Amino acid sequence: MTAAATDEKATKTPVLQLAGVSHSYASGGRKRIILKNVSHSFQSGRMYAVVGPSGSGKTTLLALASGLDTPVSGKVRFRGDDVAELGLGRYRNRHVATVFQNLNLLNYMTAVQNVVSAMEITGARGGRKKQRAEQILTRLGVEPVDQHRRTLQLSGGQQQRVAIARALACEVDVLFADEPTGSLDQDTATEIVTVFRALAHEEGKCVIVVTHSREVAAAADEVLRLRAGALVKG
Amino acid sequence: MNFLKRAWWRLRAHVIKTLMLTGLFFVVCTLVLSGFLIQSAAARAADGAKKSVGAVVTMQLDLNALMNSGKGGTPANGQSPGLIGPNGDLHIDLVDKICKSPVVVQCNYTTQGGAAPSSDIKLYQPPGAQSSGGVGVDFFQGDGVRDLNAVQDFRNGDSKLIAGTGIGPDSPADGVVIEKRLADANHLKVGAKVHFKIGELDPALDHTKEFPYTVVGIYSSDKASATGQNVPAMLDPGNQLYFTAAGASTLLGKTGDGVVNQATFTLADPADLGRLKADATAAGADLSIFPLSINDKEYQTLVGPITKTAGFATVTVWLVSIGGTVILGLIVAFSLRERRKEMGVLLSMGEKKPRLLGQHLVEVFACAVLAIAGATAISTVLSRSVGNHMLAGEVSSAENAPKDNTPDHSNVLGASSSGSGSDTPTVTPISKLDVRVSSSDIARIGAAGLGIAAAATLIPGIAVLRLNPREILTKGD
Repeated sequence: MTAAATDEKATKTPVLQLAGVSHSYASGGRKRIILKNVSHSFQSGRMYAVVGPSGSGKTTLLALASGLDTPVSGKVRFRGDDVAELGLGRYRNRHVATVFQNLNLLNYMTAVQNVVSAMEITGARGGRKKQRAEQILTRLGVEPVDQHRRTLQLSGGQQQRVAIARALACEVDVLFADEPTGSLDQDTATEIVTVFRALAHEEGKCVIVVTHSREVAAAADEVLRLRAGALVKG
Repeated sequence: MNFLKRAWWRLRAHVIKTLMLTGLFFVVCTLVLSGFLIQSAAARAADGAKKSVGAVVTMQLDLNALMNSGKGGTPANGQSPGLIGPNGDLHIDLVDKICKSPVVVQCNYTTQGGAAPSSDIKLYQPPGAQSSGGVGVDFFQGDGVRDLNAVQDFRNGDSKLIAGTGIGPDSPADGVVIEKRLADANHLKVGAKVHFKIGELDPALDHTKEFPYTVVGIYSSDKASATGQNVPAMLDPGNQLYFTAAGASTLLGKTGDGVVNQATFTLADPADLGRLKADATAAGADLSIFPLSINDKEYQTLVGPITKTAGFATVTVWLVSIGGTVILGLIVAFSLRERRKEMGVLLSMGEKKPRLLGQHLVEVFACAVLAIAGATAISTVLSRSVGNHMLAGEVSSAENAPKDNTPDHSNVLGASSSGSGSDTPTVTPISKLDVRVSSSDIARIGAAGLGIAAAATLIPGIAVLRLNPREILTKGD
């Protein structure tokens, strides 16, 4: 295969693809179906919003797509490769990052240490990680004085920014965010959405946001709705 | 190496927890190291005791075994019924072979017998005493020895050689050492030639034949003569003669290289008895008839209390190690449970599970290393204090315990290792512990401490890490 052909394949191949993904839980002795044969392709350079009522399976969809869990049936493909074959650990480590709903910051670390730690775990390229971490945090509006405080000493909004900074620092292709603006004021939420859009449109990343927020959904390039276990556009 | 950084950040961020874990480790390591030090001190004391007293092994005829074996004297082989016969003789050349065993540090043997006076040497009669006149009692007491200096009376100073050379392993077979009173009464000096007749009551022996001997030494005994009537002459200290074992054997009517009643072998280490038995068997000894019996009373007296103390220390080491591992394991397990979410987050970023465990291990190891350093500093003082206190109790118990009245078979004619002449050991138990921290002790506590840390971390850690990150993140606290 020539270099031109490889580039063409990279362009046409979705960065992330859900192929007939189904998932269910055993709950109270009964099987509860969460996702039914969900298929969708996600492209680089676009921001997606996944919306739906509580309990519709948004977080489950995110967990399966981000390699935190494996579907009961169907496949999750990254650039055409089955992530199960790629190795979930490797997939999470090299290609995707997640901003969790409850942030999951390591509270014994400072904001900078959280970001540096993520960079080191994911093997982010280049030196001067601390300086880069500070730059990302500054870009997301975390004041320098707060960057070296432990995360428990930061406000909810600042913690949210640190969580996003941590995900951004990983230099991954796909960024997942679970209700990233849930605990933020309107202005900050708008800033965060702007950051996500910039990541998608300027840095070519695929950003998938699970949200209840109409504003966030409105900012997305594509809105996907989860209803009765199915994923539909709009 | 990010996990090392994370461990360091965590330890620094949770100083109180770090100090508490270090403190717990310190207590465990101090107790375990103190136990190790007491064990080491006891082992050193036991080694020292072995070197200082060794153990005395006695070889002598077991008459019952001889008779039961059918090798005793019988009418068919020319012996009178009931006599021991030649198979009951323990020959000097056999004993000399056994003496060459590398585990024997000192060797001795004795031939107890008598000698009848002749025309050129009369029994010593103290002034005022009368001859008993009884048959078989007007003899000299004539004992064959390998080394006169090893005889108890000479070792403890009751008897002293005042002229001549005494008896040694290389002395001529016809040498005899006589007491000064006998020498004076018979006007004998060193180098004098004297004759003795057989001093054995066996009627089959020729009691008229005189055997020539040379006076090779004269000694003086502090023991006073008995002055009462009807005291057998052979009981008077003045009539005690010392021959070589071969010389004494001649006066028992034995021919050949000579026989001994009893041989003693001093071993550097009581544990060498097995080797001695093997060497004796190889030399041709029939150990069923001439058994080797060990007397390590002095060694046991010396090390008995310290061995009990070391035994208690061993139990303590095990209990504390197991208890410490369980307690630390529970603490670390609770800590891991507390940190499930942290592990889930790190796993969600693709951190490898071994590195996660590595972080926890480094954190616990860091506490353990600090604790081991502290324990090393304090354990010497603690183990010395506690060990000596426990040892004092054991020594006191040993001193108040009923005495063992088992006869000491080695204690004949100076064969005993201590030379006390009593069945009761003269040594006093070791009552002080020589506690020293050696590099091997530090290595042992290091291994134990880090082993406890590893077990306490890995066992609960592995269980947690079997979960996938989503389970960890969604199962809650």
